[in-house]
Amino acid sequence: MSEVLPMTAMTATAAPADRITVRNLDKRFRGASGDVVAVDNVSFTVRQGEFVALLGPSGCGKSTILNMVAGLLERSGGGVAIDADPVVHGAINRKVGYVFQRDTVFPWRTVEANIGYGLEIAGDSKTARAAKVQRAIETAGLSGFGRSFPRTLSGGMRQRVALMRTLILEPEILLMDEPFGALDTHTKLEMHKTLLEIWERERQTVLFVTHDLGEALTLASRIILLSARPGRLKEDFEVPFARPRDPVALRESAEFGRLYSHIWHSLGEEFRRTKAD
Amino acid sequence: MTARKMSIWAWRLVVLAVLLGTWEWGFDLAKLVLPKAWVPKFLDPYFVSKPTAIWASFLRLGCFTDPLGFSACLAANDNNLWVAMLVTLKNMWWGFLWGTGLGMLTGLVLGRSDYLSEIFAPFIVALNSIPRIALVPLIILMFGLGDLSKIVTAGIVVYFVVFFNTYEGTRAVDRDQIAAARLLGASEFTVLRTVVVPSALAWVFASLTPAVSFALIGVIVGEFIGAERGLGKLIIEAEARANASEMMVAIFVMMIVGILLAIVVRRIQGYLLRWQPQFDKS
Repeated sequence: MSEVLPMTAMTATAAPADRITVRNLDKRFRGASGDVVAVDNVSFTVRQGEFVALLGPSGCGKSTILNMVAGLLERSGGGVAIDADPVVHGAINRKVGYVFQRDTVFPWRTVEANIGYGLEIAGDSKTARAAKVQRAIETAGLSGFGRSFPRTLSGGMRQRVALMRTLILEPEILLMDEPFGALDTHTKLEMHKTLLEIWERERQTVLFVTHDLGEALTLASRIILLSARPGRLKEDFEVPFARPRDPVALRESAEFGRLYSHIWHSLGEEFRRTKAD
Repeated sequence: MTARKMSIWAWRLVVLAVLLGTWEWGFDLAKLVLPKAWVPKFLDPYFVSKPTAIWASFLRLGCFTDPLGFSACLAANDNNLWVAMLVTLKNMWWGFLWGTGLGMLTGLVLGRSDYLSEIFAPFIVALNSIPRIALVPLIILMFGLGDLSKIVTAGIVVYFVVFFNTYEGTRAVDRDQIAAARLLGASEFTVLRTVVVPSALAWVFASLTPAVSFALIGVIVGEFIGAERGLGKLIIEAEARANASEMMVAIFVMMIVGILLAIVVRRIQGYLLRWQPQFDKS
């Protein structure tokens, strides 16, 4: 496979600003038998208002890239910038919201208190929080569960709480690490619907990590495809489907099927390589 | 109440009645029917008293049957049952408080800092391997026969239990939850207050029920070895007069105090940990 030029380099126009810039990013982990290269010379940009899926097989380092963008993980080489500001490991950027794959809802807080957490620690008064929290609960379809503790909720509902806990702070940039990876297919589709409704209204800049091609095609405006370990940029292409999108109808459409099977060939090759390792 | 619960309570009453009945009449009955060598000597009411005798002692020690009246009886003895109970409870409370407070504080600090915990680990292990009771004579020497030495003893006994649980609980906090809080804008201190403490609280509470018992043990042992007042002192005095009934009264008072305190701790625990399934009341 020849080295594919990042498409951003070819299609960059003056209009939307670059929000996330990743340049020659490397990550090596120290292993028992020498260093393991997890991410190898990855460069891409995400522009204002784009919904970019970072797609690749398991273990290709896509979450590692996301965590370096978030400043949660130290880089081995290269640079990451949010707007013009270089990302510093350990420093939290208030423009950025992050949603984990694992359930990180606080079990000792009610749904309301979880969603209002960021506002509470920012010093907003209880009355100032209440209206926003109530609106977030309705948006997430969690009406009637405000006073419930997370253990009484299903996995999908808990992930809705985690999503709203991040979105209520109105982050301009949203980093999502396989947020629906642990959910069953039906719940996943419901979550796609909710997320699309929110994103099509607010148009945050999103970098969404997933290994699920269908999910990437359903949600994203652009897909960055990574190779199996070590993670290298393999392809970068636009997803042409019109918006607003309905996840169920979209998946049943013929053009979805065509694009899916077309991409599956390159991704399928990666999956075989992962298995052979 | 379900039929099952009713039968369980009925059987409990039967067991209680058999125990009390055997205690009251068992020894005398055994002496009548069994050969002398078969009757266990230590069950002699001289050693273990009898429920009726204990009740009579309770009424007398509690100043309920004194011909001079309740208050005059209390004034006549500065270590009467009620004063003894209050003194023991008070010392236990203060010991529990400082032991728990310091245990939680140091457990939290060392649990959050790998560096500090590595420095202090050998010292804590060394101190922890001293049987706490062995320190009591030393503590009495240092802090005197009064209340302070009992408070110190109870606190030391409580401290290590709470410390180890808080430490483990702090280590067990989900790293992703901490990262999530940081990403939502929490400072180091806010993470401590809103994530680490609530999350570790389940572990801390697991240690508080035993800590209450340990505080009581600490105070009582302190009073055995040297004290002016308290339930332990009452027992030692009764022992000097070979009065089993009075010793039993003090023991029962401690038992009831222990039960009540355990209920209080469980209530508080049930409220603070209501987010956990095992404390779900709904």
